[in-house]
Amino acid sequence: MTVEFSQALAEKPAEAADGPVKLAVRDLEFFYGKSRALHGITFDIPANSITAVIGPSGCGKSTLLRTMNRIYELYPDQHTRGQILLDGEDLLSPTFKLSALRARVGMVFQKPTPFNLSIYDNVAFALRHYEQLSRAETHQRVALALKQAALWDEVKDKLKRSALSLSGGQQQRLCIARALAVRPEVILLDEPTSALDPVSTAKIEELVIEQSADYTFVVVTHNLQQAARIANRTAFMLNGDLIEVGDRERIFLNPTDERTRAYVTGRFG
Amino acid sequence: MERIIWRRQALNLVVMVLASAATLFGLVWLVWLLWTTVTEGMAALSPKLLTQMTPPPGAEGGLANAFVGSLLIVTLGTLIGTPIGILAGTYLAEFGKRSKVAETIRFVNDILLSAPSIVIGLFVYELAVRTVGHFSGYAGGLALALILLPVVVRTTDESLRLVPATLREAALSLGLPMWKVVLNIVYRAGATGIATGVLLAVARISGETAPLLFTALNNQFWSTDMGTPMANVPVVIFQYAMSPYDSWHALAWAGALIVTAFVLGLSIVVRVLLRPRTYR
Repeated sequence: MTVEFSQALAEKPAEAADGPVKLAVRDLEFFYGKSRALHGITFDIPANSITAVIGPSGCGKSTLLRTMNRIYELYPDQHTRGQILLDGEDLLSPTFKLSALRARVGMVFQKPTPFNLSIYDNVAFALRHYEQLSRAETHQRVALALKQAALWDEVKDKLKRSALSLSGGQQQRLCIARALAVRPEVILLDEPTSALDPVSTAKIEELVIEQSADYTFVVVTHNLQQAARIANRTAFMLNGDLIEVGDRERIFLNPTDERTRAYVTGRFG
Repeated sequence: MERIIWRRQALNLVVMVLASAATLFGLVWLVWLLWTTVTEGMAALSPKLLTQMTPPPGAEGGLANAFVGSLLIVTLGTLIGTPIGILAGTYLAEFGKRSKVAETIRFVNDILLSAPSIVIGLFVYELAVRTVGHFSGYAGGLALALILLPVVVRTTDESLRLVPATLREAALSLGLPMWKVVLNIVYRAGATGIATGVLLAVARISGETAPLLFTALNNQFWSTDMGTPMANVPVVIFQYAMSPYDSWHALAWAGALIVTAFVLGLSIVVRVLLRPRTYR
């Protein structure tokens, strides 16, 4: 098992992620009604890097991600306690404007969620909401986003076609392009490849690594190999607790906590 | 072992026969009804139906005034009921969700949905006929709107709730405001269902008779003035079918056939709309 990780780790040179802190999670608790799903989580997410959150099903990793753009607020019985500082400002505070937050923190979900619009409009829709752009500028930005999401070559001749006509992997890259187009600072990826085939998965991993120079990614993944392939830092969660967080080499090869070691070596989860 | 298998097969056969018989029993009446309507109606079809007014007993005539009246009244009912119904359904699905208020509205709406149409007719009679002192096409449109409304509320609510939550989450995650998400993303995803609901509701109100008896009543002459009593197909069918005159019976059959064909046509459109989409 360790050998496999070494290979995955070797594919991407280790870059210690110790840039400025983008997101600082402080004593975060999360409640579904009365039941507590996160028990006081505290850790930092460095800017312009990829942080992977791993852990068995139901450990709270998706819940954690859903607090970072406050999408959980859609459901009245869900609430949080604690802080998440985005560049030092608490994004969970009611005074932090939701639209401003979501413009800065984008999200891509497990199942591709293309809008029932053309490929072009899927990307342009939110863009038009934020910026008054000319037709040519919009086109430029859409093309750029599609190129960043490694989708341009496949769709450049059929931008007017329905986004629903794309394959699952293409739809997911379209969703990433859509998130990139509005130029957020952070992009949350909730098991972005778990519904996709290996080729599509590889494409998405590659583009995430490429874009991590400009964006901060937080990736929730069930796939340990994937975390080992793409992450700068890895956080391991279990039953609503953050067990350990650190540079991926350390988490995968030298975990300090026995539970982390058990999980990354496949002894449970 | 053998016996168990034999028994199971026998039981299977019995249940299959019973189920098929029940289906057949239901179908017989439907086919009979359609067959009578079509044969009797076809015999009475003629171009005069569209060009002449409803006649006095014994005279020749058509149903032109009734068709126009029905068209106007149903259109008015649809125009009043559809926007209110879609907006109310949107409130329930997108904003009220599972809250107490929304669940109460759903419950009340379901009562309205199954309210006997004659009660709605009487209600509008009190509201819009007695107060102005005469029957009118407007009152008829209002009565039909009240019958259409709960159908549209229900189908809009249901179609929008079928739109996956992840689609809303994805759109909201882009920082778009809720109204934009509903208008541009959710409606688009639920459009087929909503259109289906509206069409089914139109089909339902185009055959309603009881509420029109109390509101639009009837009119022997050509009239497009909705402020006065108006002829309409269901009430004419009712009146003519109850009469002792053969020529009126024939016209009633023709009217029945045309209303049935119209409703059938709408149902076919609905089926086509709901067909699984094929991508170009």
